[in-house]
Amino acid sequence: MKRGPGGLYAAPSVVWLTVFFIAPLLIIVLYSFMTPGARGGVELKPTLDAYRAIANPVFARVTFNTILVALGSTMITLLIALPCGYYMARSSKQTLLLLLVIIPFWTNFLIRIYAWIAILGNEGFLNDLLRALGLAQDSIRFLYNRWAVMLVLVYTYLPYAILPLFSTIDKFDFSLLEAARDLGATKLGAINKVLLPNIRGGILTAFLFTFIPIFGAYAVPLLVGGTESYMLGNLIADELTKSRNWPLASAISLVITLVTTIGVMLLLRANGTNVLGGGGGKEESEGKAGKLDALAGAAVVGTAAVVGAAAPAGGGR
Amino acid sequence: MRRRGSFSRAVFIGTIVFLFMPLVVLVLYSFNDSRSGSWGGFSLRWYVKLFTDSPDLWRAFGNSAIIALGSALVATVIGTLGAIGVNWYRFRLRSYLRTVTFLPMILPEIIIGVSLLVFFSGIGLRLGLFTVFVAHVSFNLPFVFLLVLARLEEFDFSIIEAARDLGANETQTLLKVILPITMPGIVSGFLTAVTLSLEDFVITFFVTGPGATTLPLYVYSAIRFGVSPVINALSVVMILGTVALTWSMRNFLKYIAAK
Amino acid sequence: MIGSDVVIENVNKSFGDFKALDDVSIGIKKGEFFSLLGPSGCGKTTLLRIIAGFEEPQDGLVLLDGANVLPLPPDGRKVNTVFQNYALFPHLSVFENVAFSLRLKKRPESEVRERVGEYLKLVELSSHAQKKPAQLSGGQKQRVAIARALINEPSVLLLDEPLSALDAKLRQHMLIELDAIHDKIGITFIYVTHDQQEALSVSDRIAVMNAGKVLQVGTPQEIYESPATDFVAKFIGETNLFEGVIRSVRGEMTEIESPEFGTILITDVDPPPAGTRVSWTVRPEKIRIELDRPQRARDGLNVFQGVVDEPIYSGFQTKFYVKTPKATLKVIKQHADWSDEGPEIAWKEEVWLSFSAEDAFLVEVKR
Repeated sequence: MKRGPGGLYAAPSVVWLTVFFIAPLLIIVLYSFMTPGARGGVELKPTLDAYRAIANPVFARVTFNTILVALGSTMITLLIALPCGYYMARSSKQTLLLLLVIIPFWTNFLIRIYAWIAILGNEGFLNDLLRALGLAQDSIRFLYNRWAVMLVLVYTYLPYAILPLFSTIDKFDFSLLEAARDLGATKLGAINKVLLPNIRGGILTAFLFTFIPIFGAYAVPLLVGGTESYMLGNLIADELTKSRNWPLASAISLVITLVTTIGVMLLLRANGTNVLGGGGGKEESEGKAGKLDALAGAAVVGTAAVVGAAAPAGGGR
Repeated sequence: MRRRGSFSRAVFIGTIVFLFMPLVVLVLYSFNDSRSGSWGGFSLRWYVKLFTDSPDLWRAFGNSAIIALGSALVATVIGTLGAIGVNWYRFRLRSYLRTVTFLPMILPEIIIGVSLLVFFSGIGLRLGLFTVFVAHVSFNLPFVFLLVLARLEEFDFSIIEAARDLGANETQTLLKVILPITMPGIVSGFLTAVTLSLEDFVITFFVTGPGATTLPLYVYSAIRFGVSPVINALSVVMILGTVALTWSMRNFLKYIAAK
Repeated sequence: MIGSDVVIENVNKSFGDFKALDDVSIGIKKGEFFSLLGPSGCGKTTLLRIIAGFEEPQDGLVLLDGANVLPLPPDGRKVNTVFQNYALFPHLSVFENVAFSLRLKKRPESEVRERVGEYLKLVELSSHAQKKPAQLSGGQKQRVAIARALINEPSVLLLDEPLSALDAKLRQHMLIELDAIHDKIGITFIYVTHDQQEALSVSDRIAVMNAGKVLQVGTPQEIYESPATDFVAKFIGETNLFEGVIRSVRGEMTEIESPEFGTILITDVDPPPAGTRVSWTVRPEKIRIELDRPQRARDGLNVFQGVVDEPIYSGFQTKFYVKTPKATLKVIKQHADWSDEGPEIAWKEEVWLSFSAEDAFLVEVKR
């Protein structure tokens, strides 16, 4: 690495991200300690009211529900994604299978949510089908509950879990499984003792890629959820736009930010091995910074792959 | 041999069915003459309405296109330069930039949306197309940055030294060596940015203002305030459009990579 | 083209606490094929990069034909580099890679065509001009890198381990080609390598480096036959290196008291006085190995007995590890037509070893 015009090249990025990314986050920190303004905004009178409000039971219930939904759907996603990634990695038609997983996600996010409404709604496809088959007289209410939210969340984030798992398992040396079998392990035993420990990095990446966005979910619970499946994202938006309590919205955002960042750090630290398994990103010997880079690399290449814009040489698989 | 992978195979097939089912239903419904859920015969009337009688939708589409192309372009220029700086040079804010580009990856979208909304109203900026544009550049920039960086990391600094050794000055090195070799990463970053921008709902939802409805926002209000079957037709057109676009993008990228 | 002489004077370079170059001074003559030889991390590449202008030393001078070039940027020096990994521009064809510096200077198309053609012919790549670097073999990439560096008509060509990425056979071949190119264009070549075989076979002179210091500068023969330090002796070729104390000096004949072998006779033009601790060496191919006791035909023959521990046959020669009571010696027996082969020597066999005093020499004086 050289001294040189690096600072010059990087200056626009540094300035833009500082002004439009870091400064807004800092303002959130500031606002969370202020008094709510009458019609949104804040008055510059310091108070801890927002944090007192967080302590109230309504907030705790929403937080609990958010964690429940996020953990539940992440687990389901991983349980589906693992065998899928395994099957894809062992297949001889990897490119085709990858396309099959990715193509549905070339559809707009909201259209995908809408498709589920079209299926599960009272006048939807499923109810139609049930009525036609004589299995139901009245419409069954599939939507607007926690299960619908989890279903759509799983649907939305499946490829983000399948892709890193696939690329990690693809790099796994399957003769190790045969060696384990040869040494007397059962098929499940071999998977448990040999495969899973070796693809830990991929599992962790898949977990982060699904858990984080689900934890901050907003649109899905808004459109297919009911009051019982109200999540933190909805709470923030309501405090912001309906209750006009900006300090509270800021405080909740801050809590989510801290929880996410600290969670990622802890998980990265707990997992000493290469986090990425291969979603991309170069492994560097810089310790934590290297792991962050690798994770970011995986996130980007993964996203690029999902949206279909990755260079065939670089990110496709 | 037949039994090998039978479980994972079953799960995979089930997953693919799960992933495609909603899309199939949408396609089916888009040709449904009836307004309600039940089948009322084959019809193209929703497509006709989509293309001839949906001015708001097309205005939203226009906004989306402007925002996507504009923000992707700006993010690509800024992010590419940043990646070049970070990959090869040492400077004071280097590790700061690396961290700052990483943060958006791990923060839920709603946080970015909320903080930008608070920021924009804090500095008294009127919400509208411009704030949407700024927000899109901000979340696209790290993606471009990291994709270009991934490409740059394939090259050794000696390629820069070779250019300097052969008599190129800083600008010539940038234009004749660095940018050409990075082009696949830059194109990939730009296309990813366009796609992410077209796709974004949450952040846009918070920072948008009157007259700045994008296509996802239009779909959102259609879902919330009365679904017209035109949405079905729109979905199918968008699916086909995205497939066609992505397909040509891939081929274009392959072409660039081979060149 | 005309070569330059290169003088390096008291150059020091540190990276943090690491001293990469420690007061290095070397004089390289016009048109010489000069090698910087040493293990990785010895500072040879750093020195090359300082000459090229990619690094700046903390102090010292680099003179090209007597003029200090340190204040000049890389493109201001009449020096070009062939990089270790070739550093070819992947987006440009072979032709455009070679034409790169001419295009920068905005030379007319006809001149570019003519010159590039000339240099592609020099490296025998005329038929590959339109290919991309990715379509070339390692040896071909190497030649593109050489042509690209030479087209500027530098007076000094720097080569940074240019053959290290090639396989052994190709390396031999490229080495001969490099030598031929050097003979043809006659400019100064400074060649960095960690491979002593490479350095010995092509260089006019070699500087052996270790830990940031130049240990010895000399022709391949000088370096091989009379290494200046233990390190040089061990690094260049295979050798047997031992310590001992000088017992007496009679003219050129010096007697060493050796803990391993008793009395050893060596010759040295300027031996230190009796009582000095020294290291001494004898090359494996200079030791004779026989089943029968050699006749003490002349004065100054060192003779002792041993047991063959391990014979390693490699076609044109056999290498023996021979155990004497207190040490193990490496011995190489060449299988040439004209030598009296004698009966074959096998594992565990008792043998006689002998070498004459002229073939053993002092290396270092120990304190």
